[in-house]
Amino acid sequence: MNVNGTTNTVPVGPFHPLLEEAEYFNIVVDGETIVDIDIDIGWMHRGHEYLSEQRTFTQSIYLVERICGICSTSHPLACVHAIEDIDNIEIPLRARYIRTLVGELERIHSHLLWLGLAGHFIGYDTLWMWSWKYREPILQMFEIISGNRNHYGMMRVGGVAQDVDPDKIPILIDHMDEIAQKMDMIAKAANDDPVLKSRLVGVGVLTHEDAVNYCAVGPTSRASGVPADVRKSEDTDAYSLIDWNVIVLDHGDVYDKLVVRVLETVESIKICKVCLEKLKTVQGPILNNVKEISPGEGIGRYEAPRGEVFHYIRSDGTNRPIRHKVRAPSFVNIPTFAATCKGASLADALITTASVDPCYCCTERSLRVKDTGSNVLDVDLLELSRIKTKVIRREIHGV
Amino acid sequence: MPDVKSFIDKMGDRITNTVEKPLRLYFEVPAEHVKEVTGYLFNELGCRLSTATATEVYRGIEVLYHFSDDNSGQYYCPRIVMTDKENPTMPSITPIVQGAEWIEREMNEFWGVTFTDHPKPERLLSKDHPENLDKPLRFRRLS
Repeated sequence: MNVNGTTNTVPVGPFHPLLEEAEYFNIVVDGETIVDIDIDIGWMHRGHEYLSEQRTFTQSIYLVERICGICSTSHPLACVHAIEDIDNIEIPLRARYIRTLVGELERIHSHLLWLGLAGHFIGYDTLWMWSWKYREPILQMFEIISGNRNHYGMMRVGGVAQDVDPDKIPILIDHMDEIAQKMDMIAKAANDDPVLKSRLVGVGVLTHEDAVNYCAVGPTSRASGVPADVRKSEDTDAYSLIDWNVIVLDHGDVYDKLVVRVLETVESIKICKVCLEKLKTVQGPILNNVKEISPGEGIGRYEAPRGEVFHYIRSDGTNRPIRHKVRAPSFVNIPTFAATCKGASLADALITTASVDPCYCCTERSLRVKDTGSNVLDVDLLELSRIKTKVIRREIHGV
Repeated sequence: MPDVKSFIDKMGDRITNTVEKPLRLYFEVPAEHVKEVTGYLFNELGCRLSTATATEVYRGIEVLYHFSDDNSGQYYCPRIVMTDKENPTMPSITPIVQGAEWIEREMNEFWGVTFTDHPKPERLLSKDHPENLDKPLRFRRLS
């Protein structure tokens, strides 16, 4: 912590102890109040766009699958949408349901992962253990469908790579029923807990105006009253064939972002069940044979758990893209920290930055650094966050 | 369905080389009209900026913005082509659309495009890079 007059600077990073992608935040605080935040990225730039332009279209799909371990269906799905957009390629009905099923399963496991980490950050380790326990059957479902728990390799231009085994569909439906019961329990627990509400309501508010100005996407913007969801606005996959709702809330705080994700998980379970029932009856091919891609440009996107994944591909008629642009949702959601963190207390910085789900891994604390003098200052953001929850719990329950 | 035709009529001769596809509209905008056109898309039509793509083309350096109308799924893509490859310059749209700040900084360090009036014209990804990055990153690879 650097002490300069009345404001102090708390550096978090450059190898961020919390986030999966190494990022560096300089949080300027006045007392315990955050007055400014400077975000520095680029610590693990891997050059995926350039790498993709050296590969064939089919190889690019495998490459973009490895951009993110959690969104390992969203990127390839947006990529094949972009390639299909160049030639307006139709995909078979059965493949549309399989794509939707895999995409929604990914949303469920990603939201459960976030829910667990959010609980851990604010001192609700029971929520963490529940969420991660009930995420496990989803990973088992992926293994049944694709053979892999992660990086499923399901997407192809013109359809999907593997069919869902009809004998396994009853097992998958049983898994979904089990998850549905557990999600109801978690939703009720989150809704009924006064400490959770007191801890998260009004924290890290992203106003509707800021969400629009920063072009935020996904649950981050939907919790601020922006009803944008790619699954509704584009007629791709099977979303237009299924009755489901976009979850939109108004307050923009961390609690609304949590509720949006919980309710979206419930919607996703509903969509998965419909897809599985349809796969019992809808027969036919799963892949159209696409021989070549014409010269042209295409835009593909998919509503990943964190928001819109955007891919732009330009083809010159050869078997590889001459330009492949990738924009992940965190690229537009992370700049909103400038709006949500200012004015918040340092104890809320952790859960506020975590609330946009910016690809994080769990960890303990921020850097331990020396100031310009000889004093060593420890700033443990995780502990600060958990202490605040304890104080609220003591005020409400007296324990 | 969005009224793409009325948008094209409204823009008049400020946009050229229009290419229409289902739910996609690509068109070219001279650099001097980019603020006017993107301002209309963002403020009047309520479009969201998804991102922007810079590319090297035969004519020079191209910047393609992607504006999404989330109600209909329609994309409006203004294309700006700068023929001076050594010093491509165009106005920044960040004063109009806050969400363009990062992507314009990224295009600057990858493709060397100078965005005039950008509120924070710093490198995004290589600010603390140990090497002296005197060339745009994409052109370093080709040299």
